[in-house]
Amino acid sequence: MNPRLLGGLTAALFSAGLTLGAGLAAAQPNDYTALIIDPNVVTDSQAYTAGTPTLNPGGQPGATTVFTHRDGGRTITDTVWVLADPAAASSAINQAQGSTAIANQKLASAAVGSGGQLITGTSPDGTQSLSVLYFTEGNAASAIQFAGPAADPVPSDLVIEMGQKQDALIKSQLGT
Amino acid sequence: MRRIVMGLAAAGVIAGSLTGVQTANAAQPSNATPSTPHNSPPIITALDCYGTTGNMGCGPGFFWRDGWRGWACYPC
Repeated sequence: MNPRLLGGLTAALFSAGLTLGAGLAAAQPNDYTALIIDPNVVTDSQAYTAGTPTLNPGGQPGATTVFTHRDGGRTITDTVWVLADPAAASSAINQAQGSTAIANQKLASAAVGSGGQLITGTSPDGTQSLSVLYFTEGNAASAIQFAGPAADPVPSDLVIEMGQKQDALIKSQLGT
Repeated sequence: MRRIVMGLAAAGVIAGSLTGVQTANAAQPSNATPSTPHNSPPIITALDCYGTTGNMGCGPGFFWRDGWRGWACYPC
């Protein structure tokens, strides 16, 4: 191969890497909104509208966004924390589980990320169905909560599918 | 002769009425369970939640509504 061409390709790749890195670095420090998966990737693509993202939910570095279904009766709250290490991520999950009130809880393992757990039940007053998927991916922790009509809980396959897409997004963005 | 004719007529009327009674009784169901052919599988027609065979391409047992996945086919 032509050494000059090879050198040019190397330079181009190096430049592209720098550009990508600069793109991530150029975002606001600790602005992790790019880690939030849009639930419309697993719906008819128009079902949910995103609310204004909240940075550093619970005082931990990360982001959370509430997506509201057009029927007004269903919400998906997606939260991702980016912490110092995997142990801190697990700790954040434990803390999040402890602070979420779910009545009539049922716990099941979920094939998402590391230590994926799906907790299903109802709101304490019984008026809503609640399902929350927790998992970690490297030093990131994620909680995705689905709230809807009491008689129409979110299907588990949708939870798993969205969780896996969230996990893939974390991997691609953080390189974990 | 006239007496013979009258007698035959009376006998005909009685016989006719008796025959009618038998026919009327035969029309009454004697058994509440209709007879069905044996050894034949039941005929099952798959229907969706609305009693049709599907809307928007949804198969039997599913119906079209705006749910968790947006507009899609959902189980009944």
